[in-house]
Amino acid sequence: MALLTPARIGPFTYEIPTDWRADMQVPARLLADPTILKAASADRSLEQLVNTACLPGLVKYALAMPDVHQGYGFPIGGVAATEVPDGVISPGGVGYDINCGVRLLGTHLWREEVQPYLEDLVSALYAHCPSGVGRGGTLRLNPKALRQVLERGARWALQQGLATESDLERTEGGGSLAGADAGCVSERALERGRDQVGTLGAGNHFIEIDAVAEIFDPAAAERMGLAEDGVVVQIHCGSRGLGHQVCSDYVKRFQKAIHTYGLHLPDRELMCAPLSSPEGRGYLAAMTAAANYAFANRQVLTHGIRLGFEQVLAGKVANHQVFQVYDVAHNMARIETHRVDGRPRELCVHRKGATRAFGPGSPGLPPEYRDIGQPVLVPGSMGTCSWVLRGTAAAMEQTFGSTCHGAGRQMSRRQARKRYKGARLRQAMEDSGIHVRAGSISGLAEEAPGAYKDVDRVVEVVHGAGIARKVARLVPIAVIKG
Amino acid sequence: MNEPDTGFFEEIEHTADLALRCGGTSLEALFRSAARGMYHLMGIETRGLAAATRHSMRLAAEDVEGLLVDWLGELAYQAEAGGLVFAEMRFETLSATRLGAKLVGRPIRHIDTLIKAVTYHQLKIENVGRGYTATVVFDV
Repeated sequence: MALLTPARIGPFTYEIPTDWRADMQVPARLLADPTILKAASADRSLEQLVNTACLPGLVKYALAMPDVHQGYGFPIGGVAATEVPDGVISPGGVGYDINCGVRLLGTHLWREEVQPYLEDLVSALYAHCPSGVGRGGTLRLNPKALRQVLERGARWALQQGLATESDLERTEGGGSLAGADAGCVSERALERGRDQVGTLGAGNHFIEIDAVAEIFDPAAAERMGLAEDGVVVQIHCGSRGLGHQVCSDYVKRFQKAIHTYGLHLPDRELMCAPLSSPEGRGYLAAMTAAANYAFANRQVLTHGIRLGFEQVLAGKVANHQVFQVYDVAHNMARIETHRVDGRPRELCVHRKGATRAFGPGSPGLPPEYRDIGQPVLVPGSMGTCSWVLRGTAAAMEQTFGSTCHGAGRQMSRRQARKRYKGARLRQAMEDSGIHVRAGSISGLAEEAPGAYKDVDRVVEVVHGAGIARKVARLVPIAVIKG
Repeated sequence: MNEPDTGFFEEIEHTADLALRCGGTSLEALFRSAARGMYHLMGIETRGLAAATRHSMRLAAEDVEGLLVDWLGELAYQAEAGGLVFAEMRFETLSATRLGAKLVGRPIRHIDTLIKAVTYHQLKIENVGRGYTATVVFDV
């Protein structure tokens, strides 16, 4: 077989045409520079992107963001839009951690003000935000309350006094997506979700206290409440066991659906069903419920962070209040309206390891962000840096309002465990002034910065391609991991 | 049907997640190897554990690959949510679409790596003459 070599069609855009493989329905596009393209060619990312381009009912092209890497079914960093109602919806195009996402919290604190209290602050956040494999939290929801979480998301937390109205306004979809149906969620998924609202989990999920290292867009940064040397907090987690179970349940159910609807797919993990089918509608309603659960989860964690800041800093600093900058998902399918060939069309946009990046004037943005575009949160690898970007009109035109979600792995977890030792890594981070609290030392090694691509390079590509613009760069001062 | 194990497993490279190649002289041996391999990936020790809990499991799937996904998914769930690891696995039924097993295990205190899900990605159980092999990708 010939070597898969995408053609360069723009400064940061490469394309694989439909004649590459007979089953491709649309071209496959990759946002990259030559180094990223080379890395993507080293594993099965491009093959998975081509497989994604075979889904029925795709609009324009299948996309991969520059943090692309090999996943299962879709590549991580994949974006695919299908026509509503005749196109398909694919659980594999969302992933098992439904609405895994990032929340950025701002503070009124300077780095030097926090420094003397950092260790106590990390201990307090670790105590208020339970983490670790399968770990439950302090809330154990009865069936009625759990149903409310699934159908109201972060709005449920507001009703419990665990959120502010501003938190919700500054969350994708208001933190409460319409169309969720708890009745489409299995008993097992509900059982798994009962005590995990307000928990971080494990793996690559984290809470990080950062300092703003550099501002690139002063006007947008000011609007978001970000200033150089100011302290912010990032939360990265998702829908926990409930979301994993929803995806597993529907992946199994869809195995039959592909026969029912006569779909031919190059990989079973791409299984899908028409949006208009009972299976497709059921999954969309269950996925939306799991997404609401994730919004509520990050909201309750936010409450825990507020309690931690109050416990440690009240009376010691002028203002210990924590406010929300934004919360955005990076594993999700959303029904959105996008202009295609000059006219608005309703599409189901799958983003798997890709972030929504709506441009200025887009519906659903709070008034303060309406003219700058949606904040985009791009965490880097542990101990390096993260980025705050903003969505653009170009993203709306080129990528269905989507951009990258992180650095993207370049080394397997196995290799990372061989190459890095968790204890040594923690020491190196401590030596460079980053406080680390981790439940699993081997898990820490898997997340070593060297296992990831350079997030700065990824951001240069999305900035250069115009599908997001730089606002601020963050550096970590404390990391909490499960 | 439940002969001493002659299976194997090895972790193989996968950029984002975890992957396992496993095999055995029979379908039963393959399923047991896959389970032990997954426990290994999760950082759960299965050797030397005293038996404590008896458990039975019945599963049905579209095909044998689906059955392997369901089997491993059920074990991962029992480990995460139930805190149970099964050191002894006896199959009463194992066809292309049905599985019935008696399991003996004991509580665990710690899981190092969370398996979010067992995927169907490129999953194919192959009859290699001397037995069966499979490659399984896990979302972590």
